[in-house]
Amino acid sequence: MIRLEDVTFSYASSKPALSHVTLEISDGEFVAIIGENGAGKTTLVKHLNGLLKPESGRVLVCGVDSRETTVATLARKVGLVFQNPDHQLFAETVEKELAFALVNFGMPKEKVSEKVEWALEEFELKQYRSRSPFLLSGGERKRLALASVLCYDPEIVILDEPTTGQDSRQKHRLASLLKRLNEQGKTVLIVTHDIEFVSDYIPRVVVMSGGKLVADGPTGECLTRLELLERASLISPQLAEISWDLGLKSPSIDLDFVVAGINEMIRGLHG
Amino acid sequence: MKVLAGFDYRRGKTPIHKLDPRSKLVYLVLYSALTVYFKNPLILLLLFVSTIPIVSVGKIWGRWGISIKGSVFFISFIFIFNFIAQVLSGSTMADAVLSGISMSIRFVALISIFATFFLTTSPEELTQSMVQLKIPYDYALTFNMAMRFVPTLGKEAGHIMDAQKSRGLELEKGNLMTRIRNYIPVLIPLIISSFRRAELVADAMESRAFGASKKRTSLYVLTMGSNDYLFIAISALSFLLLLSLNLFAGIA
Repeated sequence: MIRLEDVTFSYASSKPALSHVTLEISDGEFVAIIGENGAGKTTLVKHLNGLLKPESGRVLVCGVDSRETTVATLARKVGLVFQNPDHQLFAETVEKELAFALVNFGMPKEKVSEKVEWALEEFELKQYRSRSPFLLSGGERKRLALASVLCYDPEIVILDEPTTGQDSRQKHRLASLLKRLNEQGKTVLIVTHDIEFVSDYIPRVVVMSGGKLVADGPTGECLTRLELLERASLISPQLAEISWDLGLKSPSIDLDFVVAGINEMIRGLHG
Repeated sequence: MKVLAGFDYRRGKTPIHKLDPRSKLVYLVLYSALTVYFKNPLILLLLFVSTIPIVSVGKIWGRWGISIKGSVFFISFIFIFNFIAQVLSGSTMADAVLSGISMSIRFVALISIFATFFLTTSPEELTQSMVQLKIPYDYALTFNMAMRFVPTLGKEAGHIMDAQKSRGLELEKGNLMTRIRNYIPVLIPLIISSFRRAELVADAMESRAFGASKKRTSLYVLTMGSNDYLFIAISALSFLLLLSLNLFAGIA
């Protein structure tokens, strides 16, 4: 379980990047963190593996206070993948890149190669196994960065902007992988601007704006609140937009629900 | 990498910001020369202290402070290495300690002098002043961009360390050799992304017609004012004064 209790944090000499954030995420949840640029999303996730420590308040990850442990210890449980793959790829080959975290955590050799094989397969990187990570395309580098963390099987998976630069096929693959990981009982947390990805796949959203947590609830509810979306500079999901444009009684982001609403309207017109 | 905050220029309206970069360049050259030349810890301390009025008038306490605090790590390194080298080469303990102290103060003084210069001088003005000093534009721009990207590089190094720590890298683990090796996963992405960025910048500049005409015109031309002459005079006089201390009083 992840628990933030009244967490405030600021970078040197500026207004707080996080102010009084309280949030609880239970084991096995699938949550999206959304909000405008500079809302504090990345600052928040950096607290979850101890890269940043709260100025006041506290962060508990699996019952452990982040101030009383090291990043390396927390990282074993919390897999955090950042936006830019170029900030972490360094090894001679894709295989070695995948093995890096596994070796850091002291896994035995057979286990390492087993996990590497799994990741090569899962992320469609098999044909590149002995190629240099720097020769891969942007989208492939992004996948490799994801794979290099997911391969050590952390209990909590946190991805910062995982869908940027991915085509719709890769987005689907990513979504189904995350769903599978989630069904296996892992907690999955995603920071994103990709509102359609959120409305299609993720059941709960946390909305941030200006360092504050402004909403937290079921996706269908949060993403159909126009004033909230505008406040956090978010594009509304297409289905919500259609619901508003047609003046449906209850706007929704569920396709079947919207279709039913439209049918009801048509029947009303005929009747 | 906090020491790199000393290169992070922000606009300002203080008399120091308004000085012509050429007069600040005179100060930079003369004072760095003194700092490298003198060995006496008191003189070096004096040189360090002499930068404080500039910091104060220029209102750059914040980033200057971060930069000086960031240098503490390097100072401890310099002190230890210098001490060991001195002892190995046969100096007495007292001499070795004294020389370590001098080296450390010298380093901080240099950081401070360079920080006062770069924190109060806009990169554009610096390029312009170099052009007016008849340095070819290409070289002036190259120098300027190198300086411009120092803080960017510092920030990038921070991001990379965060990413690698999240993959279980422990920088402060092991003996000296392993600790140095621990930095490989940080340095390689840093170098590669610098190359990538350099190419991007080159493309962006060419897209904006860099080098299209032989002779560039300038929007602004820098002129020296009375404050500039005063600043140069003070710098030069204090330089000569300290130099005469060396020549006539034998303080080195």
